[in-house]
Amino acid sequence: MSALRRLGPTLLAPVLAVVAAIIISGLVMAALQVNPFDVYAVMVDFGDTPAQQMTAIVVILNRAVPLFLAGLAVAVAFRMGLFNIGVEGQYRLATIMAAAIGAAVALPGPLHVLLIVVVAMAVAAIWAGIVAVLKVTRGVSEVISSIMLNFIALGIASYLLTGPFRGSPEGASIISTAEIAESGWMPSLNWVFDALGLANPPRQLSGFLLVAIVVGIVISVLLDRTRFGFDLKATGLSPSAARASGVDSRGMVIKTMLISGAVAGLIGMPDLLGSTHSYTTDFTAGLGFLGIAVALLGRNNPVGIAFAALLFAFLDRALVPLQIADYPASVVTIIQGTIVLAVVISNEVARRIALRSAERGMAQNGPPPAVGDGGSGPAQPAGAGRATGAGQHTDERQEAGA
Amino acid sequence: MATAGEPPSSGGADGGAAPLAVELRGITKRFPGVVANKDIELRVRRGEVHAIVGENGAGKSTLMKTLYGMHRPDEGQILLHGREAHFRSPADAITAGIGMVHQHFMLADNFTVLENIVLGSEPTRGARLDRDEARRRIREISDAYSLGLDPDAMVEDLGVGDRQRVEIAKVLYRGATTLILDEPTAVLVPQEVDELFGNLAELKREGLTVIFISHKLDEVRKVADSITVIRRGTTVGTADPRTTTTRQLAEMMVGSELPSPETRTSTVRPTPVLQLREGTVTNVDGRALVDGVSLTVREGEVVGIAGVEGNGQAELIEAIMGLRPLSAGSIGLGGEDISHWSTRARRDGGIGFIPEDRHRQGMLLDAALWENRILGHQTRPPAVKGPFIDRKGARDDTARIMREYDVRAPGPDTLAVALSGGNQQKLIIGREMSASPRLLLAAHPTRGVDIGAQAVIWELLKDARAEGMGILLVSADLDELIGLSDTLHVMLRGRLVATLDPSAVTPEELGGHMTGARTTAGAA
Repeated sequence: MSALRRLGPTLLAPVLAVVAAIIISGLVMAALQVNPFDVYAVMVDFGDTPAQQMTAIVVILNRAVPLFLAGLAVAVAFRMGLFNIGVEGQYRLATIMAAAIGAAVALPGPLHVLLIVVVAMAVAAIWAGIVAVLKVTRGVSEVISSIMLNFIALGIASYLLTGPFRGSPEGASIISTAEIAESGWMPSLNWVFDALGLANPPRQLSGFLLVAIVVGIVISVLLDRTRFGFDLKATGLSPSAARASGVDSRGMVIKTMLISGAVAGLIGMPDLLGSTHSYTTDFTAGLGFLGIAVALLGRNNPVGIAFAALLFAFLDRALVPLQIADYPASVVTIIQGTIVLAVVISNEVARRIALRSAERGMAQNGPPPAVGDGGSGPAQPAGAGRATGAGQHTDERQEAGA
Repeated sequence: MATAGEPPSSGGADGGAAPLAVELRGITKRFPGVVANKDIELRVRRGEVHAIVGENGAGKSTLMKTLYGMHRPDEGQILLHGREAHFRSPADAITAGIGMVHQHFMLADNFTVLENIVLGSEPTRGARLDRDEARRRIREISDAYSLGLDPDAMVEDLGVGDRQRVEIAKVLYRGATTLILDEPTAVLVPQEVDELFGNLAELKREGLTVIFISHKLDEVRKVADSITVIRRGTTVGTADPRTTTTRQLAEMMVGSELPSPETRTSTVRPTPVLQLREGTVTNVDGRALVDGVSLTVREGEVVGIAGVEGNGQAELIEAIMGLRPLSAGSIGLGGEDISHWSTRARRDGGIGFIPEDRHRQGMLLDAALWENRILGHQTRPPAVKGPFIDRKGARDDTARIMREYDVRAPGPDTLAVALSGGNQQKLIIGREMSASPRLLLAAHPTRGVDIGAQAVIWELLKDARAEGMGILLVSADLDELIGLSDTLHVMLRGRLVATLDPSAVTPEELGGHMTGARTTAGAA
């Protein structure tokens, strides 16, 4: 009961958002004279044979893994009130560096994979660290600097790909880095299907799924069960109170951005280690930005982010079937967009509901009113308190950066 | 919307039994858990400067917010020029001729004086701002009340006094006939205060009514025609500044009844806990906010710091807590020099902290009580095991604090925001006491809490003192300071200007020292 009550508001917001998004997108489709029910039917149709259905599930899982990692990377910073918009640049730069170094060395299997992953994490962490250093030493807003660093990262990646790291022959239509030797490939998880007695689909289930689950658990423990996670959450809720409690706000900014960046470095790994084995001009882009939406929908909670990543992956998978059925594929984009908008609104609605129920709880148990000097503390209605809180938040964040 | 009074007449010239511009009858305003104002009676005559004095937290601001339509009273009537008025919002109050000059200016720096003044009620010609009309009216106002404003100056280039005059002009521009000035002198230097009083005299001469909120008694006596005193949320009387002394006013303000006579058995031990030597804190401009303060707190001793707010007490506490750097001097804790320790190291070293603004520095409002139990104690049991948070330990210990310190809330999982101020404060005190610190920094420990909780908190501090804790107490409540302190320092403009014996000093004397009216030679 109490667990349900604690979870209630947490679940309410995203569920509300998804329902609202489905309705709104349906209305948009109806306005465009497309039957929304047909579209939704195509989206949930995974095919007729068990092999086809399993393939669809593998496609969704493979897509969900990088989205989950992107969501985690964003969420770690979000928890502290830092907006790491730079995940996109961090993972792209990390992936090309890791691809180049992975292709240049020869190592036995697990070590080779490990090296590639560590390089990716290090590069992305350093790139995110620049944002943190700018913030604590010069007071530069992390939003601005991380967006700017995205452009720089993408520029550097293009230069490296066409210049020093180029591995494809002259005149090839797709430019790529040299291919990583097989020792640096991540084995697939398709044996699981055999073990479970399911149809083994032709698609390879990314072995990185296991890594993502481990990373999710580690981050979850770090955020919710450790002192570090407490300091991080406290800083996010009230920088001034955190500082007074002894949290070193500058150090926290740097550590948090380094962790956020290190996780971001993993985003490109499932594709690099599992399928492409090189960084190419058409390497999956935009995961960093989708990660922001995923983190938002998952309310910065690792489990929530996992569900959000699966949902977004499910929507992405529908792109091809929709096109085959001659429906506009932009439906998916519309749904994703409306989910993001709806989740922002419903988060706020859920917060107010939670607050009201907390106040009702107090009313039953509350103290008798006594004559006292008002003015300051208890006198503030919740709304006003919130408003000032938000204001201080910005101030403090700037202060922390200054 | 507003059922406000008649249009403002020229007023003031009526003489004799001057009609009342503002009358409040039996105003009561409750907030969850506290009554901020109770049976307020206020009668302000047209064309006078009427001062409302009271300590911090006495309920002055709540009252003015009621009068300015920022919230509605639960009981009582507001009468303007003899007619009852109901305000739903400040817009209604403005329509009825009431204007508010806030303590903190609300001006856009990168706008001109003209733009700031017309903002929100711009005169338009077609769809465009009619600058000529605006300039003409601002000049008119500026000349009529000798405000000396240049409509085209940028606000960012103006000094504090000028900015305040812009605020006043802004209110006059909207046709206010009754001006509320909330602690207008708090931000001014003495010369600017004199200028402001000159402006107020002009306003009065033109028949406008001014309500002047302050706790600086000398200034009030200089400028006001009549005075209403507020204490603990209610009006305790009115005074005529010509026949009342500052001392009598202070007496009314703090209440003549002193706290129950204590046993006064000193628990002071010789070992010093805190030794501050020539501590200096400067702001970004290099101005000293805390200026060469030296003080010692011994085991079992309560050292009180009295002073009008804004004289460096907050900065002093933050410096000891490690939240502000000392620009000179040193801090010793139990013999160790902690001047360069981090806040966390200081907490671990045995400093407990009851911050003056619990929402800003003491609590995570959107977190559960058990998480607030951890705040500030992230490094030690029972809430923490090694690098991990001990959720069960934190919840259990929160339940214990709630029981022992009478924190009224459904349970450790309740969000802190749902608690009343008194209960939040008891939780903070319980939390800080649980770590048994050597030194407790208590800044306004009973501010904004109801009387019942206040008595409990006082008892807790006395018990802690008896057990040998050193306490540095900053407060605006003179009864509290005199009642609890073993040693009492007075802080004025960043310096300790007097050291008094709390068993011998009266609130009036103390008030005199706080405003600088008395000098060290006078007492101690």
